[in-house]
Amino acid sequence: MADGQTITCDALVVGGGIAGLQSALDLADQDFSVVIIEKDLSIGGKMIRLSKVFPTLDCSSCITTPKMASAAHHKNITIHTWCDLKFLNSSDGIVRAHVTQKPRFVDEDKCIGCRKCEYACPVYVPDSEQGGFCATKAVRIPFSNAIPQVAALDPEFCMLCGKCEKVCPTGAIDYFQKPVDFTIEAKTAILATGFEMTTIKGKPQYGDGDVQNVITSLQMERLLAPHGPYNRVLRPSDGMEPDSIAFVQCAGSRDKSMGIPYCSRFCCMYAIKQAMLLSGSLPLADIIIYYMDIRAFGKGYEQFYQNAKAMGIQFVKGKVANIQQADDGAVAIRYEAQDGTGVTTENHDLVVLSLGVFPDWSPKGICPVSTGKDNFIQTVQPSIAPTLTDREGLFVAGAAAGPKDIVDSISEAGAAAMEASNYLMALGK
Amino acid sequence: MSDESKKEAMKQLRAERKSSIQKAAATVKQQKKELKLLKEHLTGDGATAPEIAEAIGINVSQVIWYLATLKQYGEVVEGTKDGCYFKYQLVETDSAEAA
Repeated sequence: MADGQTITCDALVVGGGIAGLQSALDLADQDFSVVIIEKDLSIGGKMIRLSKVFPTLDCSSCITTPKMASAAHHKNITIHTWCDLKFLNSSDGIVRAHVTQKPRFVDEDKCIGCRKCEYACPVYVPDSEQGGFCATKAVRIPFSNAIPQVAALDPEFCMLCGKCEKVCPTGAIDYFQKPVDFTIEAKTAILATGFEMTTIKGKPQYGDGDVQNVITSLQMERLLAPHGPYNRVLRPSDGMEPDSIAFVQCAGSRDKSMGIPYCSRFCCMYAIKQAMLLSGSLPLADIIIYYMDIRAFGKGYEQFYQNAKAMGIQFVKGKVANIQQADDGAVAIRYEAQDGTGVTTENHDLVVLSLGVFPDWSPKGICPVSTGKDNFIQTVQPSIAPTLTDREGLFVAGAAAGPKDIVDSISEAGAAAMEASNYLMALGK
Repeated sequence: MSDESKKEAMKQLRAERKSSIQKAAATVKQQKKELKLLKEHLTGDGATAPEIAEAIGINVSQVIWYLATLKQYGEVVEGTKDGCYFKYQLVETDSAEAA
């Protein structure tokens, strides 16, 4: 794409996660032209990085990949990845967005995704797509089912040794690539900017990230994924198969000291899901969930919870007070059980923190849409039209408006697409 | 871009990125050294991560990180289980030799 170019379309979708993709597909199927802009190197959002989904235990990748492919191949959808949204506003029926596409240092049109550059690169760098449990290369395809299947080079780790350029069969490596600024002019936009999770370092009582074998729930998703770093669940400190695994709920949510007083809404269910999957892969392991209260509110969720209990997963009601390193890489959890047994310390081989959820994107200084006290995008009619923002022509879908699970995100994305469609029809598209 | 002008542009780019290039080069040097030691202990029946760590004097968490990485790139396979740990073996292939 040329620098300074202007793209026109009917609808702009900000965010290529499951909500953004669903909204884009629903609009494109109604013959509206859609442009998706995504901040990452691949579309798919959080969902493509998960192992399975609750309460059906369907393979997450098997659901997300076809949607990603449908969007990528749809004649009415154009996708731009690795983008920064600099400005977005709507006035007089026109939505205008200023976007900067960051350089991949690989020509998107030439790259055929053969990974020869990746194999040739001599620099190993921590692979954030695998929870940091293994390495990738300085130039790589982001992950096996990434869309687009285009390599990207990280200049921070590149030695400019030229090995990737030498082996590339299409001459796609471009060390001199520059950021490209472009403008999108649409008639409406859907904000599907998703969520991010608090870091493991936020709470000193929980070790501040310095206790070995304390991991995040997204890292556990990678350990459980069939194409994960070890292809099985192992302890990251030494590769031991864990015998005792604990989940600490509300480890970053419902906690004013963390600045997140609200409930993350889906942590109870994913912890139960992960516990069930662990129970399948490590049948002899003790699996314990420390919780304040279990919020299993969706269709089939209560039954899912009861099934987990029937499978032998232990649920201990009590807020964990602190987490410390014990001997041989074990993790000591100190808590006060609510059954009257008092303050207890238990050792586990691996501990998973269910961290807090916060918005992945702040509109402040970029888009005049209002946010609530929790910093998520404010919806003006949350009870009857939860996808309406306070800006005409701008709609919101998924976790951008507040924490929600995949089922709710997809339904809301469909609703946002319908609102946008009605808006476009009223404009006389 | 002609060969001459590209050569000049690369020279300029190397000067601009001097600090990150030096850092990356030092990392690669260290990684090559550690990987050489690690691979030497993966022959025969293989070894577990703690065994390798003890033998080569590298932190066991770093050893498992390398093993997971080499497994991703098809240079190492998981072998039999030894207590709570798995043994890892080197795959003798052209790609392993090339890396």
